[in-house]
Amino acid sequence: MDESSNSEWNWDFYEELVDDVEENKNIIQCISCGKCVGDCPASKVSSFNVRKVIGKVLRGDKSVLKDSDIWYCYLCERCKRVCPKDNINIPLLIINLRNESFKKGYGPKYNDLRKYVEMSERFLKTGVVLDEPLGKKLPAERIDELNEICNFARIKYVFKASKSTTKSKKRKDKS
Amino acid sequence: MNTTNLALNLTEIEEMYPENPIDFFRDKKLCLFKACLEKYFPGVRFGIEDFLTDLELNVMTCTNQSCCSGTFFQRNLITRAQFGAINERNLSEINKIADILLFSCNGCYNSLIRGREFLNNPDVRKKTQDILNQLKNKNNSDNYPGKYEIVDDLKLKLVHDLDFFYLIKNSVVNALKYDLKDMKVAVHYGCHYLNLSRDKDSIDEYLRPKTKLEELITLFGGNPVDYQERESCCGWGASQVVIHPKEALKITFNKLKSAENVGADFMVTPCPTCLYTLSKPEYREKMQKWYGEKLEIPTIHLNELIAILRGCEEERCITLRRKTPRIEEIFEIITQ
Ligand code: SF4
Ligand code: SF4
Repeated sequence: MDESSNSEWNWDFYEELVDDVEENKNIIQCISCGKCVGDCPASKVSSFNVRKVIGKVLRGDKSVLKDSDIWYCYLCERCKRVCPKDNINIPLLIINLRNESFKKGYGPKYNDLRKYVEMSERFLKTGVVLDEPLGKKLPAERIDELNEICNFARIKYVFKASKSTTKSKKRKDKS
Repeated sequence: MNTTNLALNLTEIEEMYPENPIDFFRDKKLCLFKACLEKYFPGVRFGIEDFLTDLELNVMTCTNQSCCSGTFFQRNLITRAQFGAINERNLSEINKIADILLFSCNGCYNSLIRGREFLNNPDVRKKTQDILNQLKNKNNSDNYPGKYEIVDDLKLKLVHDLDFFYLIKNSVVNALKYDLKDMKVAVHYGCHYLNLSRDKDSIDEYLRPKTKLEELITLFGGNPVDYQERESCCGWGASQVVIHPKEALKITFNKLKSAENVGADFMVTPCPTCLYTLSKPEYREKMQKWYGEKLEIPTIHLNELIAILRGCEEERCITLRRKTPRIEEIFEIITQ
């Protein structure tokens, strides 16, 4: 199938992404050589094809945000290593696309993030993801700092979401 | 301003101390970056801590260090600037107490190096510093503002445990009580060691095959075996094993299977996150269920392996790992 048949060239999407993450400007250098795909672990086990993702972005095809594909990237940075161009940072682009997808409500639901609810909670309460069994705990003042740093971050909402689920569960249990 | 060059310059040390690179570290303060997964594999921490202590080096951990937060950045739960601020906070605290920061985890190492790289973007740098400046608002302490500044020429230098052990390999070998008895060993470097983007800055570094693990295994009296999936991912993939377990564990399966195919006795890795994915009994069971084959190859972290070879007690190297397939067997073979 012709990859570029059903959408016209349109730079708006590309510009939006560059506006958000300046490094994305480099994807314009992509020569479609496909080296990134050949070495990509995600491409071996799913239909994720990063060369096509770049193509879609450059054509302004926002359907890429709805595709489940972008959620298959391993962020392993292999593509960055093998790409013949110097500064194309695909994992960063993928993180950016996922962010846009999240904002539009297409991203995986919070239940996909269940493990992260716990981890986020622990991080904001203790400063670590797994309890430190080998040393002292992080002082309270440092934990306050981390909470300040994470103000308005999604990590806090995941935490809140977990609180409301536990509450409603408790309520259910009582009734 | 180059804010990225935090990595310890290994070539320079080799040139300065051709006989005994360990001497470079004699008057330095060494800090071990605490990796979350050391909770499950305490031998990863003990393995290097005990060794450095025995060498009479000045080694410590930093009470004020938090998790590297790479996992939250990768899952879009914090922004680049927030990730940057967490990094800079850690760097600034550790810079106060140490000269060298050592990493037992590819993920932490990559987080701190990458967090710094992000600061090359002026917008991210400004936002990161703004976040750090705001910390004074809530805490009415004299320390603020300016408690955490982005310092370009940090005294602190970062080094991965694998690079460190390789640099001081003679001292390592001298400290060993046992050897690997010619066992066949498959090495797994892990993506975030293999694919470091800074290597692209020098064509030499970029083209040179990474063979430090193989060389160490040979020095330890083992037999490093080549296998098809040597460079492939462990399957963790920034939580792919949680998001898409069937696909991710297929990668894990192929990797372990490929090492078993060439008769490897065990697999060694310098990363606890890879170790977690490659060894977790629950994942092994799932792989057996989904792909119909039981994989028994044990996996060991480099730091644990060095501890076993040094003759450390079980509690200091493979504690908590008894459920891992055949790990005790390897322990017995080495130490018999
Ligand atoms: S970072 Fe993502 S796109 Fe790049 S090689 Fe790894 S899985 Fe593929
Ligand atoms: S390797 Fe680089 S240039 Fe080639 S298709 Fe992938 S992103 Fe484009």
